[in-house]
Formats: sequence, structure tokens, C-alpha cells
Amino acid sequence: MDLLEKLDQLRGRGLEKINAAADTQKLNDVRVELVGKKGALTEILHAMREVAPERRRQVGQLVNEVRDLFNEQLAQARYDLAQALVAQKLAAEKIDVTLPGKRLSLGAKHPVYLILDDLEALFIGLGYQVVQGPEIETDHYCFEMMNLPKDHPARDMQETFYIDNENLLRSQTSGDQARVLEKHDFSQGPLKMVGPGKVYRRDDDDATHSHQFMQMEGLVMDRNVSMSDLKGTLEMIAKHLFGADRETRLRPSYFPFTEPSVEMDVSCFNCDGKGCSICKETGWIEVLGAGMVHPNVLENAGIDSNVYGGFAFGLGLDRFAILKYGVDDIRDFYTNDVRFLAQFRQEEK
Amino acid sequence: MLVSYNWLKDFVKLQVEPHALAEKITRTGVEIAEVKHPATGLKKLVAGHVLNCIKLEGTHLHQCMVDVGEAEPIQIICGAPNVATDEMVIVALHGARIAGNEKIKRGKIRGIVSNGMICGLQEIGFSDSVVPVKYRDGIFVFPKGSNIQPGEDVYHALGMDDYLLDFDITPNRADTLSMEGAAYEVGAIIDQPVKVEPVNLKADGSDWTSTLTAAVDAKLAPKFYLRKVTGVKIVESPLWLQTRLWNAGIRPVNNVVDVTNYIMLLTGQPMHAYDARTFKTGKLSVRLAKPDETLTLLNEKEVALDPADIVITDGNQPVMLAGVMGGLNSEVMPDSHEVILEAAVFDGTLVRKSALRHANRTEASSRFEKGINWDNTQKALDMAALLLRNEASATILDGVLKGSDTGRKPVMVKTTFSYLNKVLGTTLTADQVVALFNRLNFETQVARDQLTVAVPARRWDITIPAHLVEEVGRLYGYDNLKSKQPLLAETQGGYANFELFMRHVKHFLQGQGLMEALSYSLTSKARATLFTKAVQPVAEVKMPLNSSRSVMRQNLLTGLVDAASYNFARKETELAFFEQGRTYDHADGQFNEHEHVATLYSGHVYRNNWEHDEAPVDFYFVKGQLENLFTALGLTDIEYRAEEIAGMHPTRTAGIYVQGDYVGFIGMVSHALTQTEKPLRNSELYGYELDLEQLSHYLPTSTQAKPAPKFPAMSRDLSVLVDQSQSNQSVMAAIRQAAGHYLVKLSVIDVYQGEHLAAGKKSLAYQLTFLNEKATLTDDLVNEKMAAVTTALETKLQASVR
Ligand SMILES: [Zn+2]
Repeated sequence: MDLLEKLDQLRGRGLEKINAAADTQKLNDVRVELVGKKGALTEILHAMREVAPERRRQVGQLVNEVRDLFNEQLAQARYDLAQALVAQKLAAEKIDVTLPGKRLSLGAKHPVYLILDDLEALFIGLGYQVVQGPEIETDHYCFEMMNLPKDHPARDMQETFYIDNENLLRSQTSGDQARVLEKHDFSQGPLKMVGPGKVYRRDDDDATHSHQFMQMEGLVMDRNVSMSDLKGTLEMIAKHLFGADRETRLRPSYFPFTEPSVEMDVSCFNCDGKGCSICKETGWIEVLGAGMVHPNVLENAGIDSNVYGGFAFGLGLDRFAILKYGVDDIRDFYTNDVRFLAQFRQEEK
Repeated sequence: MLVSYNWLKDFVKLQVEPHALAEKITRTGVEIAEVKHPATGLKKLVAGHVLNCIKLEGTHLHQCMVDVGEAEPIQIICGAPNVATDEMVIVALHGARIAGNEKIKRGKIRGIVSNGMICGLQEIGFSDSVVPVKYRDGIFVFPKGSNIQPGEDVYHALGMDDYLLDFDITPNRADTLSMEGAAYEVGAIIDQPVKVEPVNLKADGSDWTSTLTAAVDAKLAPKFYLRKVTGVKIVESPLWLQTRLWNAGIRPVNNVVDVTNYIMLLTGQPMHAYDARTFKTGKLSVRLAKPDETLTLLNEKEVALDPADIVITDGNQPVMLAGVMGGLNSEVMPDSHEVILEAAVFDGTLVRKSALRHANRTEASSRFEKGINWDNTQKALDMAALLLRNEASATILDGVLKGSDTGRKPVMVKTTFSYLNKVLGTTLTADQVVALFNRLNFETQVARDQLTVAVPARRWDITIPAHLVEEVGRLYGYDNLKSKQPLLAETQGGYANFELFMRHVKHFLQGQGLMEALSYSLTSKARATLFTKAVQPVAEVKMPLNSSRSVMRQNLLTGLVDAASYNFARKETELAFFEQGRTYDHADGQFNEHEHVATLYSGHVYRNNWEHDEAPVDFYFVKGQLENLFTALGLTDIEYRAEEIAGMHPTRTAGIYVQGDYVGFIGMVSHALTQTEKPLRNSELYGYELDLEQLSHYLPTSTQAKPAPKFPAMSRDLSVLVDQSQSNQSVMAAIRQAAGHYLVKLSVIDVYQGEHLAAGKKSLAYQLTFLNEKATLTDDLVNEKMAAVTTALETKLQASVR
């Protein structure tokens, strides 16, 4: 057979083999067979001696053309095989991204502490020190110093948990006021403090009563602190907690340790002041008690009430949480039901 | 107290409608909890005259023909036992609305047409507690002579068209617990004059005061006045008097009792009426009760008197619990003719305690408890006598018997206008301030900045300048006060260091996935001292509400175990709780409080898990969490010692020591505890508790930065065969000691004990990482250190090293 014919056949057969190679191993075999050192093309070159000298050049050219073609097609085939392998691997690695993740337990802050922390941050920003006092308090600090006379109903065994005649579980955080007042040196500047903590009252637990709850006491004292300052401060607290669009009102009230004493109401957030069951049809919800510190409290702490004066307020943190989050049973704060506690995470600030 | 708007009009001109008035009073004086209008929701209720009433045989029903002001009488079937011919009654016509928004329609009862209903007071909205006894189980019958005609609406005659303002007073404003007091308050608030009439009594009979001797302890009863009336006819009170009582929440009884209650409502002075036959022996005394004395009260409750109860006696036995309630043995009866009236001032604290002790608070006791007007004693007594002359045909004997008559000095309070303005933050002029006191009917004297206010006895709450600030402030209007922030020298807000540390711990634990719990500090005596290494004397309350809340906790874990039990009972068993709070004890004779933190875990490491990676929470998981906390706090030199702590698993619990000092424990809650708590049965609860005060002593003070290491570290593994009783901690300590300071990390990489080892042995494998921060370590040096470690383990722990 003519060499040119052979070459022509080889080209056709070679391209078929390259196309048919199913993996890199087979493709390599084809490469060796076609363009390898002992391959078909080399064989043809070896047979050049049989070709007439005047045609050798033409045949040589053709051999080179076929080699180039084979090499090009081999490279392409190799690339295609690699691509197919990658695609296969990725397909095998496919996962269902819609399946849920693997979760560890998720922490949460207690709702009453959410309120507490929020308020502490507010007061710290205003220059208040956060002060903690004892929960097992003496009758002296809890009542005597706070101007509650010996026969005051709050000092009954019925109302307050007494441990002995002198010591009791504090029924209010006001004792912190007395302790701070005794210590404060006004030459070092005004007194601004908040005192948060647990308090205890001899109430049977039900939906609206708890023998233990959290209060925050506030005290601002200097030479020129007025009831207007108190009013502005209380309005700020109420609007911070319950929204800037709330209306507020001050009502005269009575606490032994303040005079005058007031309570603040905010317009009901449920009915916007029209009257509903939550606000007992009044349109208002009581949120806090406050007043100008009673001169007797100052004098008891050795402070001249003619020179210094100021205001105090008491905030019920459980009550705030009840109002703010719409909780209908105060006991929910103390049973630690995870289903209840898990719902306040988005309230963190 | 329920204050009648219509009655108020007797004293003050009211040009403001009831709800607006209530809002003004609330903002200025006393909170008005509610404005009641009894007629609200009622319709077509008229007076009817029963012309004819026939009992239907074999039933409890009556067939009545009733004149309701229409052309023809209407037929009504009525089941009330007390319906009778010629009575004036309340008729709900066809289409009427009665209490509870119930509609009344024409209908047939036993086949007989009934064109409406004859009503009892409860059916038109009266509380059972104010309905006169004789109408309680039947229909209401208007008293003879009542000014009402058939067909006329009943609301006015029954006082139901009134508005009742519920004065929710604070303890200092008991002066408003009377119509006169309320009138003075309202007059001041709306700036209208108040007219309160004085009383002029002329007696009809001769002086009676020599017929009775009253021995009164003036400490118990500073004022004790008596009057006597005779010829009394006990009957039902006229309707005007009954309506005023029931609108104030008081049940009408008879004319004498009703008059005493009416005078109390009017003046605030509690009154009492005795049947004069009580004092047959001519003796009366006011004294403290004696042990073993008893008294049956008017409400038929028999009380064992306490030596701190004030009693009035007939010279021998108690006939009244003073200030609280009369005795059944001195009650005014239908056949009483001679009545002794008492108006007195009793010691408020003793009365309060009596009422509390015998669970018998009354309108009278609550007034004595909060204080009453000392100037009203005589007036109240005289008014009561006068009313009995009108309503009970009484003859008033001459003379007032005063068993005691302590006076009170008038109160003058001095202040300055500048003080008032300073405290309020106002710029009121002297004239403005004086005008406000004029509204209160307080007399004032002004001398430049000085202001002197004469406070009438009816306002016994006012004694010091701060009280005047309140009067001025509230009448000027808290709404009118400027609202501003204190302008003071700058102060730095913030937390104390220890507080910051506690907050760090809380934030860390929350970030670690723990949920914050809040438990009661009071627990049972047994629970209070569980989970506590060194139990201290407890802080126990004297009168606990129940035994499970009687002692202050000495640990927090008990609260978390309670929380776990609560959640387990609700099928919530995947728990990770922490609580930060105090523990309390009575060590060394003083009450101590310690800040602790505790955690409790149960369930699995992963919460939702379709991959079935079901690693349960166990000791080592919790310990890893704790170790991370310690690392985050920068705490080092921590040692765990196997230890037994009450409430904890005896072989799975460790005491935690920092620099040799005990700071808390970690472990599993004991089977003994979880097996006895039904929801927790067969559960494994792990947790730890730390004393944060103790911990805070070992916190690093500051951080000095070091560059990241520039030289490579070298690691070697080491396998050690030791006795099973040998703890990992002791092996590690030996390795550390021998390896020198280039050893920067030592980790346990395997623990094995089992069949391939000799009995009583275990194999521990470690990875040791060496690093020289200043130069590259050589193999020789590390080999030398490893050899030293091997020798140390072999000699100190009799270990074999591979
Ligand atoms: Zn509302």
C-alpha cells in the first residue's frame, strides 16, 4: 500500500481512537500508539526509505501535519476528560443545603435582667453610680432610717420577713439610700446613685403577687435639686421604657421616706388612654413611685436638710417586665420554664 | 371610700362633671380608682304599686296586678316570698334591662302572662353586701312615705343616678374618709368655697351624766364622749338615709345603727350606739382586755381577746372591741328604748393590731388606724343625737359624759417662700402661695420671706415645711411644674470592679449557650444547705409563708435543680441554665451574703440532630465549659480534687481549688436526689457552683502583651502505664515539674483501661509541646527533657513509660 494511503488511514483511525478513549489511562495508551517513540507515525517515518526521494518531502510534511493534529486532539481530549472528572466529583459532593444546622444550646438573658441592664445603662450614661446593698437588712436601715415609725404597718411581722427582732429580709431597696447618704461626702460632688436588687414581702404568691421581686432605687442629692428635676427624670425613664409617644402624669402619693411623694402613670399602651381591662378602664397605668427625700431621712443620716435635698425614686423591675412584655403572671419569672425564657432574646440591647 | 357626687353638692358648688372632677382629684389629691354610676346599663325600671296579690295554689308564685303609672295595671307573676298587696316595688317592664345586661320580656309563667318582673336590689346591680337583710332574699319594698309615684323611674329614689367617686386614699390622706373632708379637698382643688355647717344642739331632757361613771384610760382613748337618748323607736331608716349608706358600701340596718354610720360617713368620726341596758350597774370602763376574756362581736364571731386589745366594759365584762366592732351583748335591739352614743378617739396602732389580730377590719377600725379629726368628737356626737331625734323620735338627755378629754395643740408650720420655690423648682410669688392656702382654708401669716401656716385639726397629716411644699405643689399643679434634668456638677457613672467581674461572668455564660434563671432565695431548710461544702448556721425567717420557703439558701444549685424538675415535668429535658445571685448565712453571729454563680446541664451537646451525633452532656463536657470560663477570666493554677458534697454524686464530684483555695465544686447531681424527685428520675444532671467573691481574688490585674512565637514548637507523645488509683492530675503535675519551662502545652490524648492491660492498671497518653521563645529548640534538649520526665514518672509514680 502506498505510504500516503497508509497515512490517510492512520489519520482516520487515530482520530477515532482518540475520541473513543474513555479515561486518561486509555487516552495515554492511544497517545503511545499514535505519537509515541515506537508509535504508528514513527513507523511511517521509518518507512520513508521506501518512498521515492522526490516525494519524501511531501510525505514528511504530511506526517508532521498528522502528528500536530493528533497532539492537538489528544490535548483537547485530555482537557475534556479532566473537566468531566471535576463535574463528576462535584456532583458526588452535592449536599442538601436546606437541611437544618447542628446547634449547640443557645443562651438567653432573663427578662427581668433585660429591664435591669437596660435601666442601668441609661443611668450610668447620666452619671449615676450603681450601688448594691445587703438583702438581709437591719430594721434600722430598712425602716428606722427611712422614717418608718416603729408601729408602721410595713414593720409588721405580717408584712415583712423578720429573721429576728433586728434583722429582716429587706422589703424595699430604700435601705441602700440610707447607707449611701451616711457615707457620701458632698465636698466631692453631688450624689447620684441607683441601687438595684431583690426585695421580699410576706405575700402569698399568685398571678400579681410575689414574695420576692426586684426593685431599683434611685437617689439624686445636692444643694439645688428640685421637683422639676424629678419630673424631668421620671418622664425620661417612662419614655425610655415605654416609648416616647407615651403621655405621663404625676399624682400625689405617700411614702414615709419622701415628701412630697408622687406616683407616675403612663397612658395605657394597650388602649392608648381610651380605657380597657389592662388599665382598669382608667386609660392610665401606674409605673413608679418617687418624691423629694424626706427631711427626716436626711437628718437621720446626719445631713443638714436645710442645705441639701434631692429626689428618690423606686422602680419595680418585675412590674416593668410585666408591662413591657405583656406577661400576665409574675410567677412566670421564677419558675424558669425554658419555653417562657426563650422568647426574649431579641430584646437584648 | 365611695364619695357621692350628689352628696358633695351639699357642700361645694360643682360645675365640673363627675369624670372630669375625678381626673382633677386624681392629679391633685387622692387617686380616684373608679367612678361608678349605678344606673349604667339599666333600662325601663319603674316604681310599681301592687294593687292585688294572689298566691297561686301549689306554687311559690304570686299573681300580682301592679300599677305602673299606665292607664291599666299590668299583671306580673312574682316568686318572691315577701311580695304583698299595697307594696311599692321596683318593676322591670317589658323591654327592660337589669343587672348583667339581662333583658326582661313579656312572657308566660305556668301558662299565665307576666308583663315584666318585680325586682330585688341585687337584680338591679346592688352588691349583696349592702342590701338590707329583710330584702336580701326577696324583692325590695320602698319604705312607707317614700317620695315616689307609680311609673316613675326608680334611679333617683334609690340613689342610682348618682356618681360615686372611689377615693383610693394613701395613709396620709385619711382626712378625706368623710364627706366633710372630701368636700374641703374638692373645694381646694376646684377653687370653690366649702360650707360645712356647725351644730347647735338643745337637749330635751334632764342631765343624765351622774347616772354612769366612766373609767377611761386616756392613753388608750384620749377622747371618750358619751350621750344618752331615750324614747327611741327602732324602725327602718328613711330612703334618703339608706341610699347614702348603700352608695358608700354600707348595709342599712335600722335607724339607730344607720345614723351612727351616717355620721361616720359625714364627719369621719366612727360612732357606736349601745343599748343603755348594757350598763345596768352604772359603770363603764375603757381598758385593755384581760387574758382569757372573750367577746362575741356583732357579726357573731367569737373572739378570744388579747391583752393588747382595747375593750369597753360594763364595769365587769367586755361589751365592745374598741374601735373595731360592738359586742352582741350590747347591741341595739328592736325593743331598745334608751341608747348611749359613743364618739371617741382610740389609739390607732392598737386598733389596727386588734383588727388584724381578729381578722375583723371595719370602716371604723380603718379610720382609727389612719387617724381621725380630734376636733370632731363633740360635733359628731351632737349630730347623731339630733338625727335620732328626727328619725327615731328620740329625746336627747342633757349633758355629755366625757370619760377622757385630751386636747391637741393647734399646729403652726413655719417656712419660707424661697424654700418652697427651691424644692418645687418654681418662681411663685407670696400672693400666689397664700392664695393656694386660702383655697385649703388654712390661715396664713406673711412676713417678707417668712410664711406661717395655721393647720386645722382636720389636716393632721401636715406638721413640717415639706408637707407645705406638697400642698403648694399639688394645688399649683404637678402638670404645671417645669420638666427638666438636674443641672449638677459632672459625676462619673459606672459599676464597681466586682460588679464588672460578675457581669463578665454572666455575659460569658450566656455566650456559652446558657439560659439565665432567676430563683427564690427562700427555700426549705434541707435544700438551703445542700450543695455546700462548709455548711454554716442558716438565716431562717420567723414566720415563713410555708416550710418550703423558710430558710435563705446557701447555694444556688438547689434553685436550678428545682428549675430542672419543673421543666422535666413539662418534657423539656435539654437544659443549660445558669444563675448568678447571692447565698446567705449566719456564720460567726452575723448575716453574710456571698455572690455565687451556678450552672446546670442536662440532655445532649447538640440540640437538633438528624446526624445522630448524640453525645450526652456529661462531666467532661461541663468541665470543658468551666475550663473555658477560667481561661477567659485568666485564671491559672486550678486544681480539681475528688470530693464528696451533699447532694452531689459521691464519685463524680470535684472540689475546685485556685492557688490552693476552695472556690466551688463541679459534678453530677446525686442519684439520691434525682431518684426522689419524680420528674428527674433516671436523669443525669451536671453542673458547677462557684463563689465569685473567692474567685475574684485570683484575677490577673493587667495584661502585658507578648509577640506571637517566632520559633517552631516541638511535640512528643508519651504513654504512661500507672495504677488506676493514680489521677491524671498527679501524672500531669509530675510531667510538668520534670519537663522544665520549655513545656508550654500538655494535653491528654488517650485514656485506656481494660483487658489488654494488667489488672489495676490504666494507660494514659499525653502530648507534650516544647517551645523556646528565644531560639530554635534542639532535638537533644527535648530528648533530655523527655528522659527526665520518664525518670520522674518511674520513680515518683512507679509508672512505666512507653
Ligand atoms: Zn388601657
